[in-house]
Amino acid sequence: MEIREMIAVIIVLISTVGVVAAILGAESYRSSAYTVDLIARAPERGNWQPRHVTVPVGEKVTMRIRNVDTVSHGFALPAFDVAVPEIKAGHVKVIEFTPDRKGTFPFMCTVWCSNHHMDMTGELTVE
Amino acid sequence: MMIRVLALALLVGLLIAPFVVAEERYIEVSGKTFSYTPGVIKVNEGDVVTIRLTSEDVHHGLFLDGYEVQTKAHPGQDGVITFVADKPGRFTFRCSVTCGEFHPYMVGHLYVEPNSPFNGYAALAVLVALGSLIVMAREGNGDKPAKDKLFGLIDLDWRFDLTSFKPIRTLFKSRWFPLGAILVNLLFFFALLLSMFVGGYSAGNYNVGVMFVWILWWVMLMFILVPFFARTWCMVCPFPLFSDWYHRGAVIEVKPGKQSGLNKPWPKSLKNMWVMNFLFLGTTFFSGFMTVKPLASFILLGAVILASFIVGLVYKKRSFCLYMCPVSGFQALYSQFAMSEIRCKDPEICKGHTPKTCFVGSEEGHGCPWLLTPFDFKKNTYCGMCLECFKTCPHDNMAFNLRPPGVDLLVETKREKRGLDEAWKGFIMLGIAVVFFIIYQGPYGELKDMMRATTYSGFLTFIAIHSTVSLIALPAVFGVFAYLSKLASGNREVSLKRVFVNFSYTLVPMGLGVWIAFSLGILLPNGSYLLHVISDPFAWGWNLLGTANFPWTPVFTDVMGYLQGAVLIVFQLFCIAFGYRLSKQTYPESSEARRGWLPMLCFLTLATLGFLKLFLG
Repeated sequence: MEIREMIAVIIVLISTVGVVAAILGAESYRSSAYTVDLIARAPERGNWQPRHVTVPVGEKVTMRIRNVDTVSHGFALPAFDVAVPEIKAGHVKVIEFTPDRKGTFPFMCTVWCSNHHMDMTGELTVE
Repeated sequence: MMIRVLALALLVGLLIAPFVVAEERYIEVSGKTFSYTPGVIKVNEGDVVTIRLTSEDVHHGLFLDGYEVQTKAHPGQDGVITFVADKPGRFTFRCSVTCGEFHPYMVGHLYVEPNSPFNGYAALAVLVALGSLIVMAREGNGDKPAKDKLFGLIDLDWRFDLTSFKPIRTLFKSRWFPLGAILVNLLFFFALLLSMFVGGYSAGNYNVGVMFVWILWWVMLMFILVPFFARTWCMVCPFPLFSDWYHRGAVIEVKPGKQSGLNKPWPKSLKNMWVMNFLFLGTTFFSGFMTVKPLASFILLGAVILASFIVGLVYKKRSFCLYMCPVSGFQALYSQFAMSEIRCKDPEICKGHTPKTCFVGSEEGHGCPWLLTPFDFKKNTYCGMCLECFKTCPHDNMAFNLRPPGVDLLVETKREKRGLDEAWKGFIMLGIAVVFFIIYQGPYGELKDMMRATTYSGFLTFIAIHSTVSLIALPAVFGVFAYLSKLASGNREVSLKRVFVNFSYTLVPMGLGVWIAFSLGILLPNGSYLLHVISDPFAWGWNLLGTANFPWTPVFTDVMGYLQGAVLIVFQLFCIAFGYRLSKQTYPESSEARRGWLPMLCFLTLATLGFLKLFLG
């Protein structure tokens, strides 16, 4: 095979498999900084995911909340005074807090996102 | 006596019109995914308008184009805006809070009457038509000019060969071009595919794939690529790369010998636009999913790549691009209007040159992958601008010309015939524009529900109406005018089919104008989403350019109606300029041509008025 052809084939591989692998790789490295990854969807489209989160007591939690839904959501964890008033569709918010006591605490959506908005709740367990 | 009374009444009316007392108007608007009730509001110029917005389900907003005021409402928490309606015209109010998948299409119309922008443009359209008759009459009396000049200004034979610049010719002769551009495109394209895949069912307006394909790419095609540069998208399109690689056994090198695959010729009866016509129309049935759901766009684009490869296993060269690709058809037809072309420079050189390397290929490049004969083709329609002929021609006899718009509309040769397939392509494009505008940019929630298939029967009704408009209703109306044209001309020799087909090429400038106007209504309100998605393309919290939190900002929506009206009038001029020439081609006698032109002029003017009504009225 000629060198020119080899270069072209390599660029094709970079432009297909390469770019996908690079993007996924970069993201998995970047997202390792988050202790909790939370996805927000209205209850009929999947609800909080995961709905039960477990974290160790006394250690700082870095929580990424991704709204991959088609409407705005909010986030509140009253026990530790954490809240994000609005996360627009397609947007991402990162919050930090340090849980200082053990137990199971509720978190919920704070924007009227659907008729089932009141069911959009989850639990944080601190051990 | 009667006339005097009427005149007096008119005078009094005109005098007191400016002093009509401005009223205070209070209007309650309720928002529910994805429409407002009432969807149409009418007030008079000068009124003080208060709109109270309530929401029946989720968080909605109301942004009013032109007045740039907005409010928001949750269920149980209303919003109020007050403004003085001091600008006349029709203004769209749109939801400003992403409220679900069809959010970008949640709109209503506010009329501030009298609707003088629409009235003005409508009068202008009629004046243009009447004015063209005067020009026609004067031209008929005078001596024939030696050269055919568009609007009496631009010589239709004018050409400028871009490759007369040495660096451009060198670039076109390199095997790295357009391959290099295709490979870069491929990289972006795979990134977009990934975003559509991981985006799944999320909001389309916040997905980079959906935004780039349906806002940026589509609008670029209609605004710039097709009208100015013909099928340059096909030049850099990454889809057929894999099939080409398989056929040629190499990505860049040119190997001698037969190409891989079955290499069957495309069936002769399908060597036209019919397959593309139906595939494209069929694709638009699902646009209510594709333009809002990332995964639906992923499936569509994936299917196109896969199909291009599978068809490539069986059929020759670029058969898929030529006769199947859904977006190939309108580029093919509309590129007849384009202001560029690839043609041979001097036919005499080609005559003496055997074998014709542009068709059979050489060590420098492949024989025309689009199965044209580069030495003598005369229309842009099926030229994918892959530039292989620049490489294979040993005499540097190929040119990339700039030219006046619309030239190919007047061309018909033995091998490049006009036909009903291209006529129907024109109808389908116009029909889609009408149906899409009414559903997407109109204030009717029930129609939006049909399009997004909340019920099967609604979706099937939409498909039935949509197909009927494009395939039957528009051609029928056009057919009536074509028949009237034949009657008016007094010519009995020419067939109705020929009248119908010839005049159908006026739908090319008309369609382009309508699609540019339509695209303005998509781009100006929604273009700002691009800044968000380009910074956080996968909704992972990236902020590549620092614009991830750029809010939704409609731009120039205050002048959108004026721009759309101006575009329609400009393309009405092109319709008339080329329509009259087509009439002269259709009817041999100039008196017949003039009489036969009148019904078509009526049609084109009525159509322009209809589209003005759609966009402004």
